Amino acid sequence: MTSKDLVLESAADRTIRFERDALVFTNQLYAAALRYTKNPEDARDLVQDTYLKAFASFHQFEEGTNLRAWLYRVLTTTFINTYRKGQRQPQIANNELEDWQVAQAQSHTSDQGKSAEQEALENLPDSDIKRALHEIPEEFRIVVYLADVEGFSYKEIAEIVGAPAGTVMSRLHRGRKQLREKLSSYAKELGYTTDSPAAKSSQSKKKGGAE
Amino acid sequence: MSFIEIQCGDVLASVVFIIEGELQEIPQADAIQSHIVTCAACSAEIEHERLMQQMLQDVLKRTCDEQAPEDLHQSIHQQLRAQMAGAGATEVVTQFSMTEISIEIDEFGNVEHREIQIEQTHIQHFIDDED
Repeated sequence: MTSKDLVLESAADRTIRFERDALVFTNQLYAAALRYTKNPEDARDLVQDTYLKAFASFHQFEEGTNLRAWLYRVLTTTFINTYRKGQRQPQIANNELEDWQVAQAQSHTSDQGKSAEQEALENLPDSDIKRALHEIPEEFRIVVYLADVEGFSYKEIAEIVGAPAGTVMSRLHRGRKQLREKLSSYAKELGYTTDSPAAKSSQSKKKGGAE
Repeated sequence: MSFIEIQCGDVLASVVFIIEGELQEIPQADAIQSHIVTCAACSAEIEHERLMQQMLQDVLKRTCDEQAPEDLHQSIHQQLRAQMAGAGATEVVTQFSMTEISIEIDEFGNVEHREIQIEQTHIQHFIDDED
């Protein structure tokens, strides 16, 4: 075997390994890219760039570690560095709470409020769920997506987005809260929920019904 | 049980840690834990939060499951192959070429002219990522 064969074989082997292990995540990364960029053209380009970048540094990837998390890191940093430039982003307040107390002290939710929230989630169509996700600030959207769609732990998310774990927890809390508030207000606008005390009794009826 | 007095507000503010199963990450974990056990309003709130979180995750997962367009799969495959071909061609080509010219003139004035061309090409390949 000549040296030329060795080189070509190695590059080919690496490509085969990359294609076998990494390309199974194309659909998942595309769905994430759609939420990040909010449009199919940019999502497409972002996924493509992500794979090319990941492939170019695949030799640095340690086999046996989490390839999916690594790909999401490439996706997220590529998005932050490239795609959001020039896009107008809703800014989040600078005074992020980064200690253990991620939220301002709050009071208990009323039973009425609880059932209204539940009804909103039960009744809203997918298009409204996407709209709400797209409307919350990008920093929140990314961590909520990574946690609640992809199921990454908050420590993994800290690695992926390159932020301290406390910041991730704070964004997760505030992002979910904003998302739920938006969904509740859409539901109210669309008449899926009522503010009347009847909401409570309709909830207890539902509990008895079969799913 | 604990020296730190915990208010309902403190418990609710750290609800994300409870939901994520990471309560031990915060310094007041024990005090919060014992507050929840004795406070019906807080434990109901946490139960509601768990339910909402589960529902939220379910709708998000259901909603965010778009498939990549078929031509995107194709295009990624092709670009990776192109990048691989580029990586395989990392080589240094050394070309060496020499011409030896000899001219002889004999006693009758005839000129004999000879040229010998010597060529050598050496291709060296480099593996740039395995050191």
